[in-house]
Amino acid sequence: MDNYLIQVDALTKYYRVPERGEGLKAAIRHLTHPMFTEVPAINDVSFRIEPGEVIGLIGPNGAGKTTILKILGGLLYPTAGTVQVSGFTPWRRKPEFLRKISMVLGNKSQLIWDIPALDTLRVLGEIYNIPTAQYEQQIKMLVELLNMDDLLRRPVRNLSLGERMKCELAAGLLHAPEILFLDEPTLGLDFSTQNRLRTFISEYNHRTGATIILTSHYLGDITALCSRVLLLHEGKILYDGQLNGLAARLAPYKLLRITLATTDLQEVLDNLPAGVELLDQMENVLSIRVARNKTAQVTSDVLKVLPVADLSVEDPPLEAVIDKVYQGGTQWKE
Amino acid sequence: MEGINLRGGYALMRATWLSWMQYRSFFFILAFGWMIPPLAALFVWLAAVDSGSLAGFTRGSFVAYYLILILVNQITYAQSNWTLGDVIREGNLNFWLTRPIPGFWNVLASEMAGKAVYLLFVIPVTALLAIVLKPELETSWIQVLLFLFSIILAWMLRFLWGFWLASLAFWTSRADGLLALQDGLVFLLSGMVAPLALLPAGVSLAARILPFHAMIGSPVEILIGSIPLNQTGFALGIQFAWVVTTYLICRIVWHSGLRRYAAVGG
Repeated sequence: MDNYLIQVDALTKYYRVPERGEGLKAAIRHLTHPMFTEVPAINDVSFRIEPGEVIGLIGPNGAGKTTILKILGGLLYPTAGTVQVSGFTPWRRKPEFLRKISMVLGNKSQLIWDIPALDTLRVLGEIYNIPTAQYEQQIKMLVELLNMDDLLRRPVRNLSLGERMKCELAAGLLHAPEILFLDEPTLGLDFSTQNRLRTFISEYNHRTGATIILTSHYLGDITALCSRVLLLHEGKILYDGQLNGLAARLAPYKLLRITLATTDLQEVLDNLPAGVELLDQMENVLSIRVARNKTAQVTSDVLKVLPVADLSVEDPPLEAVIDKVYQGGTQWKE
Repeated sequence: MEGINLRGGYALMRATWLSWMQYRSFFFILAFGWMIPPLAALFVWLAAVDSGSLAGFTRGSFVAYYLILILVNQITYAQSNWTLGDVIREGNLNFWLTRPIPGFWNVLASEMAGKAVYLLFVIPVTALLAIVLKPELETSWIQVLLFLFSIILAWMLRFLWGFWLASLAFWTSRADGLLALQDGLVFLLSGMVAPLALLPAGVSLAARILPFHAMIGSPVEILIGSIPLNQTGFALGIQFAWVVTTYLICRIVWHSGLRRYAAVGG
């Protein structure tokens, strides 16, 4: 099996950070005897990505998401480990490699500020040596998919953040990259613009088969786009797989929401079947937590014992699950 | 500085020029600011020389010397501290590095674009000053040719010099002190505060060997003949040696800067 587009093996990255104490004396000592500490950003990370996948890198701030993205894009070299992206070692930054990738950073702009985005696109067209016909066709497709009409003709400084982000994506995709790296693409955008950009990214992936790797703090981006997530914590991969599997791994329980046909709750509460935990009670609606592997059993017991008017079984909300990881409070089971 | 991509380079220049034309007036004021020190020096020397001559300079030849110096100063002025330096400091270098064109082209593009903007201002102003102040200039075609050759070397030297100074942004967030020092040395030793013939012999000799006179004064003196034809070879040789040396410094600083950048991130 060698049809992976991206292969990462035992990737480790330490940052060297100067360390010095407070005060003038320490500052002077630092000049003559600089002290450094090695801070681990990524620790022994391995994964594979196939062509056409849309992968989400998630994790709290400082988990190593952007470091991985920058290494894959050739901006950083690792302390140890090997990386192959489309057959290239990224940090050698061969022109043939750079033509295959694109990086769009949500908090940085590659557009020239005072002139219309179309002028930046023209420069990129020349830099990437795109034939005129292909250039026109790509712009037409991007304008249609991004629904951006005349945005490209307005000076960039007059665009709103959402409009600018559309132009940033157009600039990043002009040369039809095989691999697209997106770092926080929806940062600071309003809800409906976020949605439109997600639709675009997914549509673009379907149409072109481009591989997309994105980092985001908005779970909406991840659920809408990613066929697979890598959950990072303190430089290690905690989870690599489908998003809905994540809840099962992280939170081995389900939530039962029961609406009762009676208001005499005391009797009901006394008769709760074994193995359930009452989380919340509002009037005649109960929320209870059940171990995942006992859900079927408990549900049938509840229906037998209690006067049930309505019942639903739900996964715990993903935000809450991931929050537990971010807080470091989860008992992770390998 | 690997690989050549002329079409991309030209497109970059054009777009940067379009963008900077939005700031015409800012560039005009900037260019005006650069004219002030040599103009001030000119008026001091005009007062000192009165109707006589100083080390071979008459009133008319002082005017010619300084007007040409103003042009050469503007043409060779390096802006890389604002273009390259700021790009490194603000983390926008990432975009340069993920494109299949060397970052060097971006710096060159802004350099050319900037010149194309402010020369629109400087050339008419210098012409006007020439009409008012009446320079006296005796030169020959061979001197004009050598001048053109020398001004290209001067520009290359100043551009590369600015490039390595700007690359220091990889290590230190502000190199203002160093820049002020180099501006001071340029003012004193490039022939701006006075033609080298008017400086003490030791200083004048040092200035002919250091890179600062090679950046501005050498082409001026070649054109007006205060470097005689038989010494032009030496002046051009010094310029060329500094271009090569500075190019090597640039390569070392830029590449080790990039290595550091790739180790610590932007």
